[in-house]
Amino acid sequence: MRRTIALFFVLTVVSLPLTADTFSLAFFQYRTDNVFQNAYPENDQLSSLNFYLDKDFSKISLFAEGNYVYAHQHPNLSYSYLDVGLDYLYPASEKSAFYFALIGQGMFYRPDYEDFNYLSFNFLGAFKAYLSPTSIFKTNYILEYKHYGNSLFNFISHSLDASFDAYFQTRTTIKAELSWGYKYYLNSEASEEVPIEEEHGFRGGRGDIIIYPSTADEDQAIQICAVKGLIAQGIGSRVGFNISGMKQWTLSGENPFSSALEFYMVENPSYDRFSWQGYQIGSELTVLVPWNIELKMSYTKSEKEFPGIESLDLEGNPLGVTRQDTREQFEARLEKNFSRISLFLSYITIDNQSNDPLFDWQGNFLSLGVEWNVFFGVKK
Amino acid sequence: MRKGFCVILLGLLVFQSAVFCQTTGHFYNVDTEKKIYGTIQRIIMEPRYKDASPFLIVVIEEKKTKEMYNVEISPVRFFTHDFHKGEELEVTGSQYSTDGQKNIIARQIRYRGEIIMLRDKKGFPAWRGGEMKQRKRRKGKRF
Repeated sequence: MRRTIALFFVLTVVSLPLTADTFSLAFFQYRTDNVFQNAYPENDQLSSLNFYLDKDFSKISLFAEGNYVYAHQHPNLSYSYLDVGLDYLYPASEKSAFYFALIGQGMFYRPDYEDFNYLSFNFLGAFKAYLSPTSIFKTNYILEYKHYGNSLFNFISHSLDASFDAYFQTRTTIKAELSWGYKYYLNSEASEEVPIEEEHGFRGGRGDIIIYPSTADEDQAIQICAVKGLIAQGIGSRVGFNISGMKQWTLSGENPFSSALEFYMVENPSYDRFSWQGYQIGSELTVLVPWNIELKMSYTKSEKEFPGIESLDLEGNPLGVTRQDTREQFEARLEKNFSRISLFLSYITIDNQSNDPLFDWQGNFLSLGVEWNVFFGVKK
Repeated sequence: MRKGFCVILLGLLVFQSAVFCQTTGHFYNVDTEKKIYGTIQRIIMEPRYKDASPFLIVVIEEKKTKEMYNVEISPVRFFTHDFHKGEELEVTGSQYSTDGQKNIIARQIRYRGEIIMLRDKKGFPAWRGGEMKQRKRRKGKRF
């Protein structure tokens, strides 16, 4: 019986790429000197193995992606995920189209972090139209439902954005975007602590780091809105440059946790785009250097305030101020695409200054990757 | 048991060969591949292949010859890239003609310092990644 199951599994895996239009395997190696992104830096190396496949059936395409990430120094952080979904493109006219996608996702951590395990459902509806040959209107709606290992984190969110751009003869593009988001926590009556042990990188008396508020009647929804602007300049087909700015406001509600934590490569439900308000400015240069290597260099500065989260000292005593971070980030990425192989190299350095001393940190992140693509299906 | 395994594997290989041999209408011909550099004049969505989503087509005027080409990009790139009239592209692809109109099935595009790979060297489509798939694909953490 066991042999039959193994054979079935092998045949399924072997046959999937044979019936797929696209099949790819990727391996990435990451190295960082601050895996928990806090004032107590710890080195780690992460290895990631990823597969992706998709298959077109008439106007609908199905796709699946799987990933396993192993953290060498902190193996309890290792995780795997699987996405499956389908999408559909519907042309409304010669100059406009709708796009719809449904995705189911599962994220699975080792037992120490199983509170972060989740199953999610996403729906995306998008519309794009050329208002004129040099001007585009786009709008997106995203519905997301996430069911976590610890139900305190369960939520439903709605996101809506609309953008308008215009291209000028000077090869300049100007883009403006307005976005709105609403996140509703589904377990407003719950009240408990989610302890994260000291061995995970939190010291100085701040072990129990995520605390859910005890007031059941408090509004457990966060509503945000943001405006974004971008100016992009093309110089021939080999060089592109842009500068961008974004301002985000929390319209209502606040973070229901006592802390917002980022981990390198590991999604933490206490930290996402709903958790802050403030601004972000940035610039990016894209150049095709010799041998058709794509080089991207970017600089970003952000100032974020985390409503509802009070800064604490390293012993865990309240400092009487809302947490506020100022971050500067420089990033360089190289990408070389061959016919079926792509190579990636990136380096990121971050300086995060915060009025909460635990989140006053610097970090360096290096990654190296190779992706192998195989294309099947009908040769149109 | 072993014999059964071999039969199934053989079946899969036959299926793979059948898939490779399929063609419909015009198709990517590596012998007619050429590279052009020009300016976008028009952008449209247009049906190109039976039972497939309409294609994003950009009409390009070649810089050197001033000739016009209909460049077939792919269905999903309508959402992932914002092309505008007046922008410059370098396109590598397979040329074919219909009713006196020059067409190119694009394999690779150079645009604003990026290379967009649309097909492999044999011309098999590499269109993966609509709007949602592009968002989900990860090549390292975005901070």
